[in-house]
Amino acid sequence: MADATPAVEICGLVKDFKTSFRREMLRAVAGVSIRIEAGEVYGLIGPNGSGKSTTMKALLGLVAPTAGHCAIFGQDSLVVDSRRDVGFLPENPYFYKHLSGAETLRFYGKLCGMRGRVLEQRVSELLALVDLESARDRRLGGYSKGMLQRIGLAQALVQDPRLLILDEPTAGVDPIGSRQIRDLIFKLRERGITVFLCSHLLEQVQEVCDRVGIIFQGKMVKEGRLEDLIAIEDQTEIILRDASPELIARITALVASTPGTELVRSGKPRTTLERLFLRETLRDEP
Amino acid sequence: MSQHPDSPARSNSGSHCGRVWVIAMHAFTQLVRMKVFYFLAVFAVIAIGSNFFDLPQHTGPEVSGIAVLSSIKSWSLGTMTLFSVVLGIVATALLLPKDVEDRTLYTILAKPVPRVDYLAGKLLGVLLLVFVSLALMDVLMSAVLQIRSSMILNQQMDFAQGRGWSAAEIASLRGDILSQGANASLQGAVFAVFLRASIMASLALLISTFSSSTLFTSIISFLIYFIGHFQADARAIFLESGAAGTGPVTRAISLVVSLVLPDFQLFNVIDAVIEGQAMPLLILAKLTAIGLFYAVFYVIASWFIFAEKEF
Ligand SMILES: Nc1ncnc2c1ncn2[C@@H]1O[C@H](COP(=O)(O)OP(=O)(O)O)[C@@H](O)[C@H]1O
Ligand SMILES: [Mg+2]
Repeated sequence: MADATPAVEICGLVKDFKTSFRREMLRAVAGVSIRIEAGEVYGLIGPNGSGKSTTMKALLGLVAPTAGHCAIFGQDSLVVDSRRDVGFLPENPYFYKHLSGAETLRFYGKLCGMRGRVLEQRVSELLALVDLESARDRRLGGYSKGMLQRIGLAQALVQDPRLLILDEPTAGVDPIGSRQIRDLIFKLRERGITVFLCSHLLEQVQEVCDRVGIIFQGKMVKEGRLEDLIAIEDQTEIILRDASPELIARITALVASTPGTELVRSGKPRTTLERLFLRETLRDEP
Repeated sequence: MSQHPDSPARSNSGSHCGRVWVIAMHAFTQLVRMKVFYFLAVFAVIAIGSNFFDLPQHTGPEVSGIAVLSSIKSWSLGTMTLFSVVLGIVATALLLPKDVEDRTLYTILAKPVPRVDYLAGKLLGVLLLVFVSLALMDVLMSAVLQIRSSMILNQQMDFAQGRGWSAAEIASLRGDILSQGANASLQGAVFAVFLRASIMASLALLISTFSSSTLFTSIISFLIYFIGHFQADARAIFLESGAAGTGPVTRAISLVVSLVLPDFQLFNVIDAVIEGQAMPLLILAKLTAIGLFYAVFYVIASWFIFAEKEF
């Protein structure tokens, strides 16, 4: 991976939208710069309406920047060829209902110039990857939200791109579905694919991202490596199994007798509702 | 499933023609799966079947035979015109806003697909649909005409021989009847119907690039369709009334109007074919050139608007 050109380069991106009153402009993105190296997983988080989708659309050339510029692997986003090496899953994707899963992938593959046996092989491969082989010949009109999201992911991957852009990949998907998507992103990262994703749900992003940017009202508020951002530097956590009350008392006493150290909290760790849900629903599975 | 940076799958991203064709076939499939053919076939059968109940009263045998044939043609070509224009306009007006609304457009434009390929593909898909449905109707109409004209021919030959007509008179009657049958001129007329629908579909494409509402696009397109039929008249009146002083200006305006709007009176040759006249090849070539000119012109104009569009 001696590739020096970054997968994504967004420099001082500004995007204004016309509102219904002609003169008044709405600044959706106000000077965002992002650089993503090849092979990284980058998460952009921020509340609704903070400009995440607009940033991604500018990167894909779907909207033209008011100021600044975007490039994918060194190619300007306004050039059609910059889209050769990128796959995109839009927010709440909604594909052609009249096509089946396999037909959908075939259509997008052909748009990328794929044909014949190579394409057929790729379609089967992708359906297996996103676990939709059983729904291969069913029309998308009958797909669930999670299935649509997964066929969307497969569609984005059809030409084997080096960069994947995912807009809210887990929004509206149940915990099992969103874990499947998360696992898929892990798998892709192992294969060296660069992933640029955004979400307003912090939990889901945490586990997959190498680097995270926090965007608010069109501005980048904080950016850095995930561990650096979420670690509470001056605290340490010890989790014990089957600890007797006496042991706890001894530890508490030891901490109290050490100057400069303070016991912040002790008690039983709570499982998250999500983990509980997964444990209960997946108990019967091998 | 390893990563292969220079796999044949993506070393080229296909040709323009390839992509336009993929999008066209997709649009065609989409429209077919909306079951357009279904109700089209029903209506075609009704329209053509109705000719059997719509026979004029027998006035004179030698006139009535020809009248029946031209009535079948008139009904069929009228229905074809209606269907092809409605289908061309509505289908085109439907496809673009639907893609924008469903955000499927993002997924297409996020692939290496130039916007002009997308527009041309959609239009080609609609034209394919119009062409196929017209071909189906044409087959039906030609079959009905063929059967009907051979029946009439037999009947009239018996009648003429019974009356003791001369050979020359019989030959001329025979020629008259055959000129009303399913001949090459009729196929030319159907092709002219297709060309007219193509122009309207391309115009609807242009309008839908800035309207983004199916209803608005359809209404404006139909309005323009009707205006197009009166364009020549309007222009003549306009030129006559203003001929005195504003020579170059009026001429410039009328030039612009005729550039933007086709003169649909050129398609009146279809009526001549219904009356049993032959369609000269030269006229057909001219109509084809006009159809191509406007289709290309409208697609390029749509591209100019669509290239700037943001979603
Ligand atoms: N096409 C558009 N026209 C006008 N305003 C838009 C358009 N797209 C987005 N916006 C506005 O830009 C802001 C940012 O939107 P978006 O990027 O979709 O936010 P996010 O994806 O972070 O929820 C919002 O206030 C939204 O209303
Ligand atoms: Mg968004």
